Amino acid sequence: MSILFKGRAQGAQISHVSGPQRFVMFFVSHIRQALGSLGELWRSRISALMTIGVLGLSITLPSTLYVMVKNAENISSGWQQASEISLFLKQNATQSDVNQLLKRIQLWPEIDKIHFIPADDALLEFKQLSGFGDAIAYLDKNPLPNVVLVIPTERHAGPTAARELLEKLRKEREVDIGKLDIEWLERLHALLKVAQELVTVIAILLFLAVVLIIGNTIRLNILNKKDEILVMKLVGATDAFIQRPFLYTGFWYGLLGGLLAWFAVILLLWWMSSSIAAVSELYQKNFNLTGIDGQTLLIMLGLSVFLGLSGSLLSVKRYVSEIEPK
Amino acid sequence: MIKFEQVSKTYAGGQQALRKVDFHIEPGEMAFLTGHSGAGKSTILKLISIMERPTVGRVLINGHDLGTIERKQIAYIRRDIGMIFQSHQLLMDKSVYDNVALPLIIEGYSHKETSKRVHAALEMVGLRDKVKNIPITLSGGEQQRVGIARAIVNKPPLLLADEPTGNLDPKLSMEIIKLFENFNQAGVSVFIATHDLGLIARMKYRTLTLKNGQMITDGLTEDMQDNDFYA
Repeated sequence: MSILFKGRAQGAQISHVSGPQRFVMFFVSHIRQALGSLGELWRSRISALMTIGVLGLSITLPSTLYVMVKNAENISSGWQQASEISLFLKQNATQSDVNQLLKRIQLWPEIDKIHFIPADDALLEFKQLSGFGDAIAYLDKNPLPNVVLVIPTERHAGPTAARELLEKLRKEREVDIGKLDIEWLERLHALLKVAQELVTVIAILLFLAVVLIIGNTIRLNILNKKDEILVMKLVGATDAFIQRPFLYTGFWYGLLGGLLAWFAVILLLWWMSSSIAAVSELYQKNFNLTGIDGQTLLIMLGLSVFLGLSGSLLSVKRYVSEIEPK
Repeated sequence: MIKFEQVSKTYAGGQQALRKVDFHIEPGEMAFLTGHSGAGKSTILKLISIMERPTVGRVLINGHDLGTIERKQIAYIRRDIGMIFQSHQLLMDKSVYDNVALPLIIEGYSHKETSKRVHAALEMVGLRDKVKNIPITLSGGEQQRVGIARAIVNKPPLLLADEPTGNLDPKLSMEIIKLFENFNQAGVSVFIATHDLGLIARMKYRTLTLKNGQMITDGLTEDMQDNDFYA
């Protein structure tokens, strides 16, 4: 409806289109503008490709690091499940004491399995493996303690839960020393956490750079089209109408950059897969490298589109309203 | 239709472009605005299309005070005013069709309606066969007519023209003015700024004359023959 002239219908009202049709028209015009922006990118494809390249590579780095960290987490979580507690029993504990202890702790809900290694067996094994066989024969008494290997249930295998279990086991009368063999695992976890945070920081910095790069590219686009924007304003285009193609350009930059990053990550992982396989073979570990799954890809593309849009929004808000016919 | 009430405009820097200008153009009227360059013609047109705001006084269109129009509404105001520029203000890399269709696309007309109206507008200015041309390949007069087709394509009740015959020879200028007369006869108010006195002299239209930002005459062309503007 016109502001100045009552009764003068404007635009769609005058062409007698119904509500639903107008709704359709809205989308049609959006699609038209979106495709128009894509066509614009195609016409200036060299510079568009460079921008998309910068965007794609900036997203590739954090994505690859993310995949690495995720895989490292997968491996370490596999190890964590196998954590076991070694209990060294007191030398003065009698056989019946030991049997009682075994019976008692067997019933604990935290414990999955226990394995008892009598001191004599341990000495025998040590004799065979260490090569001190004859020297050990001179000992008048077996210096090794009885050992109980405790394997916690899955729920209590995590570092903190296992530590709690260890504390509880240490309180048992017959137990001399308890050892939990996950300290190195905790260190690994701490390192992984640092790595994760590093990935986040790198990602944030690169994403900021992407927003600025897109913002600057769109700013140049706007300034290049200054004359066209002036003409559009003169014939009654709103800022929103003028902004839309630039926002779509940002959208396309984001989407195409995200897809490029996806391909780049796949390529990188494929390239590195043989060396990773060699490493995992050394550790005799059956290990499958997980790449980017559907959900991660969606997040990646969504993020990249978001970055493209924010960059263009930044410029569009600032510069489109600044261009006014004089 | 257009009413100026004691309008003064001082640009930043102190240059006073208009001093207490008063006039009223009736609905359906066709009038000329004239004066030497720098007399304030462009300022008056800019105040009507809200490219500038008055320092003092009020500008009204159809009884609406433009001072109450917010920045966001300006685009909608401009849809009610068909504007024609000396420099044509065409998109040089788009076809004639796209140029004329621009106001309709902005307003969200359907594809069919747009096509119908663009062809009708181009028919009116006699450029039906140049639909697919690029403005650069057209002559100055033809480019001006493309600009006119764009100004009238959404049938605004008011047409503003800034030196529409600026670079044209007298014969072409007359053709352009004839076009404006046609629109005026269809009920459109037409307000034309020009320094082409020879052109005005050949017609009997109300003419407002500016000198140093002041309105010095306001009346029919005939009455102007002996005023001081020609002295």
